[in-house]
Parts: sequence; structure tokens; C-alpha cells
Amino acid sequence: MRAFLPRTLALLCSQRPGRLELPLARMKVKILQWHAVASWTWDAQDETCGICRMAFDGCCPDCKFPGDDCPLIWGACNHAFHLHCILKWVNSQTSTPLCPMCRREWQFKG
Amino acid sequence: MQLDDSDGALDSWAGFCALTGDLVGGAGDLSVGPRLAPAVADLCARGLATLVRDYFLHNLEETFKNNAVKTFWQKFHPYNNSSAVERIKFCVQESWPEDVLSTALEDICLEKSYQEKCVLVLVHTLQSYEEKARNRKLQAAECSSSLMPRYQLMVSSVLLTTLPLSFPEILNVYFKKKLEELNTLMDGSGDNDQLASHEFSGGSNVSAWDSKMDIDSQETVISESGNLVKNIGKVVRDLRCLGFTSMTEDSYSSAIIWLLKSKVHELAGDDYRIPVLGCVKKWIQAVPLQFLHALLTYLGDSVDYESESSGLKSPLASRPSSFPGIGVPSEALLRWHMRLEYFAYETLQDLRIGKLFEIIVDYPESSPAIEDLKQCLEYTGQHSKLVDSFISSLRYRLLTAGASTNDILHQYVSTIKALRSIDPTGVFLEAVGEPIRDYLRGRKDTIKCIVTMLTDGSGGNTSGAGNAGDNLLEELNRDAENQENADYDDHTNMDEKQAWLNSESWEPDPVEADPLKGSRNRRKIDILGLMVSIIGSKDQLVNEYRVMLAEKLLSKSDFDIDSDIRTLELLKIHFGESSMQKCEIMLNDLIDSKRTNSNIKTSLLRTIETVTGQEEAEMSHDVLDATIISSNFWPPIQTEDLTVPASVDQMLSDFAKRFHQIKTPRKLLWKKNLGTVKLELQFEDRSMQFTVVPVHAAIIMRFQENPSWTSKTLATEIGIPVDSLNRRIGFWTSKGVLTESVGADVDDHIFTVVDSMSDVNKNSIVNESSEAFQMNEDEGESSISSVEEQLKKEMTVYEKFIIGMLTNFGNMTLDKIHNTLKMFCAEPSYDKSLQQLQGFLSGLVSDEKLEMRDGSYLLKK
Repeated sequence: MRAFLPRTLALLCSQRPGRLELPLARMKVKILQWHAVASWTWDAQDETCGICRMAFDGCCPDCKFPGDDCPLIWGACNHAFHLHCILKWVNSQTSTPLCPMCRREWQFKG
Repeated sequence: MQLDDSDGALDSWAGFCALTGDLVGGAGDLSVGPRLAPAVADLCARGLATLVRDYFLHNLEETFKNNAVKTFWQKFHPYNNSSAVERIKFCVQESWPEDVLSTALEDICLEKSYQEKCVLVLVHTLQSYEEKARNRKLQAAECSSSLMPRYQLMVSSVLLTTLPLSFPEILNVYFKKKLEELNTLMDGSGDNDQLASHEFSGGSNVSAWDSKMDIDSQETVISESGNLVKNIGKVVRDLRCLGFTSMTEDSYSSAIIWLLKSKVHELAGDDYRIPVLGCVKKWIQAVPLQFLHALLTYLGDSVDYESESSGLKSPLASRPSSFPGIGVPSEALLRWHMRLEYFAYETLQDLRIGKLFEIIVDYPESSPAIEDLKQCLEYTGQHSKLVDSFISSLRYRLLTAGASTNDILHQYVSTIKALRSIDPTGVFLEAVGEPIRDYLRGRKDTIKCIVTMLTDGSGGNTSGAGNAGDNLLEELNRDAENQENADYDDHTNMDEKQAWLNSESWEPDPVEADPLKGSRNRRKIDILGLMVSIIGSKDQLVNEYRVMLAEKLLSKSDFDIDSDIRTLELLKIHFGESSMQKCEIMLNDLIDSKRTNSNIKTSLLRTIETVTGQEEAEMSHDVLDATIISSNFWPPIQTEDLTVPASVDQMLSDFAKRFHQIKTPRKLLWKKNLGTVKLELQFEDRSMQFTVVPVHAAIIMRFQENPSWTSKTLATEIGIPVDSLNRRIGFWTSKGVLTESVGADVDDHIFTVVDSMSDVNKNSIVNESSEAFQMNEDEGESSISSVEEQLKKEMTVYEKFIIGMLTNFGNMTLDKIHNTLKMFCAEPSYDKSLQQLQGFLSGLVSDEKLEMRDGSYLLKK
């Protein structure tokens, strides 16, 4: 540490008067626009919906567009389904609806 | 009457012979006539009338042959005896055949008319005797009436037997020259008239009336050319009177047809942008019909006069039936008119068919030529000629290795359009299109080219009026409209009356139609359908389109996709909504991205405003845009690791974080190697702007920290393989931004920033030339894996199955492998075609995993 300090100081001293000699200043890149590409994914543990067997990143059989139009929903048991799929399931149950995966009572995760 | 002794008969015969000799050989002295009567009467009374007649005719024949015919042919000797080359010299002489011909004809006709008078003398004598005989109710041979026809027959047979071979030729030259003369005369006066109007088609009745009106209006022209026609008429009449009727007719009709042909060629030429049929028709009425009209009128008069003296007429002679006035064109003229028009149609049609390839090459401009051809074909019905000739020229000129697929496709589209206008039923198109389609199926880039043609119509329908023919989108557009119309038609079809009308307007297929193919499916010719039929299935086309669309969308730096949406809508109409579903999601992703971007940006800006002191952030979040895709619906995308500079990385993760906040629980996964970057390099004395891919940006940004890097360290820094780096960095060296030098290690190159202007100038010339190439190479590296690669990827699933089968069975044929896979592969189900399997297997063979022997595959040992 003690040996290091003087060297750094010396470097600083030598650089301060003549900034132009700094290699950094030679060329600058200015980004005008960076058009990037990304893909989105539902942050679910599973790949496919347990009801319709379609990919979570796709959409349920009734939908045309994935993403906002066909969202996922998590239950209290942490199982995820397409919203449309689980709604259909829940509505078709006469008694209290159960999670199709674990048979616990289905509760939407708050 | 009782018979005298034979001496009396001999006396009469001797007297008759002497008198005949005097009459025939005499120099126009007809006074012997009356003296002939007693001898003839005596001989006839003895039943020797036929002998009298035969002797008399024989005498005439001898004289005619020896004097008139000889001198007549002598006039043509110089021509007949000359060689072919010398004959041309004769033809060049202005007055050559005309002078000789007219004088010779005049002479011989003079002689003939004298002889006719002689014949008449005998006829009269015989007639008076016959009258007497009839009064006394005696039988007598009716020789008088047959004498004149026999004489005419004699004259023509004598002439025809002595006819030199070249005489028809002379006649031909004569008529040609005369007609040309007439043509120039008429052209000079009829120019205004010709330009006045083009009338198209119409039945022969209409044209007949037109011709009549023309004849009326051009009375002045007739008087100018009257002399000319009169001269010709005289010659024709003389020739006819000599029994050359059919030969004469042949000559002048061939001359007319020759002239017509040359006229058609002259008018039609190599210019396809003007219709010529109207002009040709006009010309037919202006020149040859005028000529024929005048000639027939002239001859009509003389024929009437002639028919009194000569009963003999060739059945081929086109004697006009009647000429009550100038008003109604005679039947002969009408027949001529139709004949000439047919010939004109045929000539023009042959000419156009021969050049059909060129015509179709510049189709939209050459539509007048196509229109002409259509009319010609309607008249002549020689469609099969067109098909044969066009197919052979296609084979020879288009379907060769040298022609690019694009050109072939464009030509195909033009062909479809052109032939569609010629023949709306599409029968001939089917025949012509088949070789093109077959050929295109053998080319690998056909699908790609077709899709490019589809998507390149970004200009919309207003921009490309000039090259609208090349724009398939236009076609799609029109199809869309047509389909709407068709739907409308369908509604009205409900109406029974309408259905009845439709059924009444039914027309059978042309004779050339292939009976194997029903007429139902050739009702509508739609270009896109034909294009798809080249590929085989629409799925392939849609798939290719999806890949190209993905590539296009990913390289976009803005979210302007209006034209793509339009294209997609049109494709949807054609291919159905469900097959375009994925493409629609892709476009929807872009629309969503735009919205999400602005959402995220505004929220990011707000946080920056609240958190002051963030100014030192090198880049504002303004510069970042992101296309967020639903990766399941996009074609497989080649991802490559890339370490972007920390500042950019920070920006990206900020963006992703914000996305996660807005769209919980969705997450963003960056595909850092994709996208576009606009950047500006700032040097001390200059600055340059570039639009590059992220890898290039990542590379050049590293040179801010350090002006020179070795390729190995740079590669590890950026996180890409060295060879890939070396390839990518070529972009910057070619721009003169970096220079390359070999370092200590041969494999390790050193790249340094070029910072002085002079260095740049030094390199700039070289660079400019390589720039285009570099860009091309860049574009060639697509981020989307091609359809073939996709297929290969899909097929690898079955590789294990195939290997397993082959270990069990030893060797299997292609068919057997295909069928077995179809039977047993349920998960994932096997849906590939035989060709696809074959392609994959040959790939395995070239990878030395399999071996192919005698048409069956086995494992490589």
C-alpha cells in the first residue's frame, strides 16, 4: 500500500497538466440510438400450463395474442395457469374449486 | 339433199382450202368471206362440217403459232435467256416489264382479234347454212356455236404449251412494281385519312360499308391513280383474253399479298407500344382494295363486252357478278377484303408470336401489341402456334442456368398477365406456365424470391405506376378487390334470374383445353395462386415469409410497420387468418413494444429527475429502444453471447427492471447481439456516424478505454470467439477507423485506432471500394436461422429413431424409413415429406453417419 501510493500520485501529477496526452480523449463514441432486442417471459417455474398444456409464453387456446391479452395467474399454492384456463376450470366446478395440480382449495394469490 | 359424186366434194374442198389460206394468211382482207359460203355449204351438205371446222381451226392455229406466238415470246427472250443475276438488272429498270409486256400484248391481241374476225366469218357462213338446213328440215351438225370456244381454247393451249418458265415471274414483277407505284401514290394522298381514326374489329358487314365510304371519299385519289389502274386493267384484260386468267390472278394476288406482308412488317416492326392492327386494316382499304375495286370495275365493263365474243372463261376467273353502280361493293371485292384481312391477321400474328418473348419482357408497355395479337388470334384461332413457339423460346432464352430466379419470376408474372388478357379462360396459360413452374421448382431460391417479390411492394399502389407490373403486392391488392367483387356476385347469384343468365352465358372450354382438368378451377386466374402452385404448399411460403419478416423487423430501428401490416392483411385474405397467426403476433409485438417503450421511458425519466446527481450517467435512457418479442411465435433466433460495455449494460438492466415493475411478473431476456445501434465517432478533428449491429458497437466502444487491443484480449472482453471477432472487426478496419498489425504472436493481431486525418485519407480510396462488399457480407449474416436450418433442427429429433431402426433392420430404403417413421413416431409426430427426409438422410450420409448402397441406407461401420 505504501509503495503503491506514490506511484498513483505521480501518475496523477503527470496527467493533470496535459490531459490531451491521455489516450482516452483520442476517440469518443457517442451512442445516438441503441435499438435492442429482448424477449419476454413469464417468470413461472413451469414451462407449460397444466390445464391446456400450452406454453406459458404462448397463449391459451382461446386467445390470439400472448402476453397482456392472455395473462398468467398464480394460486395460493403457487401453481400458475393461464388466467382464462383456470377461470374456466373454476367456473365449471360445482363445489369449492380445487387447484388442478395439487387438489388444494383454489385461491387466487393476492 | 342427195349426194353429189366425190369429184364435186373434192372441188369444194380444194376451193375451201384455198379460200381459208387466203383468209387466214391474208393481210386483213375479210372480203373472201362471201366467196367461202358456197364451198362451205357444199361441204356441210356432204356432212363434212366437222372437217371444215377442224381444218379451219388447224389453219388458224398454225398461223397463230408461227407468227403471233413466236413474236410474242421473242419479246421476252432477253429476260428468259439471262442468268439470275442479270434478271435483277432487268427488274431494276424502271419501265422494264411494263413496256415490253404492254406492246407484246397489244400485238398479239391485234393478231388474235383479226383471227377472231376470221372465225366469225366462218361462223356466219355456217350459221346461214344451218338456218337454211333447218328450214328444209334437214339434219345438220351444229358446228357454228362450238367454233368460237374451240378457237379460244386453241389460243390458250398454244400459248400455255409454249410458255417460257419465267413468264409468271415477269408478271409478278410487273404487278409488284405497279402496286408499289400505286401504294406510294395512295400513301401520299391518304396520309391524313389514315391518321384520322383507328377503327377496331367489327364484322365484315361493317368493314364493307366502311370500305364503300372510303371509296366514295377518295374519289379524287382514284382519278389520280385512275390512269395507272387503267393501264394495269388493260394488261390484265389482254392476258385474260389470251387465256392467262388464272395465272394473272395468281400474279396480282401474290403481288398484293407480298405488298401487304411487307407493309405489315414495316408497320409492326419492333415497336410494341403502338397498336398496328387498325393501321393495317386502314391500309388494306386504302391501297389494295382501291386497286382491286378499280381493276374489277374496269374489267367488269370489258368482261361484259368480251363475253359476247368469247364463251370460254376460266372457272377461276373472278368475274364480278354485278356492278350496278359504284355504291355497293361487289361480292368479289368483299371476298378479297376478307381474304386480305385474314392474311394481314395471320402475318401480324406470326410476327408477334415470333417476338412474344420480347413483348412480354416489357409487358405493361407492350400491351398494345398484346391487344393486337389477341384480335389476330380471335380471327385466326391459331393459339396452339403461340403456345408451341412461346414454350420453345422460353426453354431457349429463359429457363437456363444464366437467368436469375428473380428474372424468371418476373417474366412469369408478366406472362400470366399478358396471356390472361389474350385468353381469359387460362387454357393456354396453363400450357405455357407448366415448363416455367417445373423449372422453378428445381431452383433452391425460388421461395425466397417469391416472398421478396411479395414484401418488396412497400411503396403502396400510388408510387409505382411505372413498374406496377413488377409489384406483386399490387396483384394481391387487386385480388383482394376482385374477391370482394366475387363475393358480391355470389350474393346476386341467389337470384334465380341471375343464375339463369349466368348459365346462359356459359361457354365451352377452348378445343385445346386439357380434358383431364376440370373447367371449374380455371375460372379465375390469380397470380398469387399460380405462384403458390410453384412452391407446392402455402405453408412453405408462409414459413419463408415469416423468416423474412422476422429478419426485417429485428433490423428495424424504429417501429414503423404500416407497410408490413398492409402486406400481412393482404396475405391474410389469401392464405387465411390462421396460417398468418404467428406473423400477426410478430407485428403485434412491435406495436406493443412501441407502447411499452414510451411507458418505460417516461417513468425512467421521472426517476432521473427525482434522483438528481445522476447527470454523470454517460447515456440518457432516451437513446434506448427495445423490440420486445414473444419468442415462442418467432422463428428460432440465433443468440450469441456478447458483453456490452458497462454503461450500456446498466441501461439495459434499468430498462428490464422497469419492465418487470410495469408488467409483473414478466421478465425481459435481452438478446444482446441483436438490434441496431446508431453511433457517432468523435475524433479531435472530425466525427463520423454509423449504423451498426451491437457487436460492432461493443468493439468500437472498447477502444475508448484503450486505443489498441490485441484480438485475443478484446475477444475475451467482449465475450465472443476470436475468429468471430476477427470477422466482425473487419467492418471498422474497412471504414478506416482501426488499423490492423501483426503482433508478437502470429495469431494475435493488434488493432489500433487511426486518429489522424491523413491516415484516413490514405486509406479511404481502398476502403470505399470495399465498403459495399462489407455491408453485403454483413447483411448476409442473418440473425434468423434459415428455413433449411430449422428443418435440420426439427429433423434431428428423428435421428435417434433412424439410427435405432437401422441397427435393428440392417438396411432400409427411403420409402420404408419414411413409412416406419410415420407409423411409430407419435411424440413428436412425424410430419415431414419424403423429400425432406431424403434431404436429411443425405446430410447424415455426408456426415459419415450413414451409408447409402443400392438405394437403401445402412449404418456406417
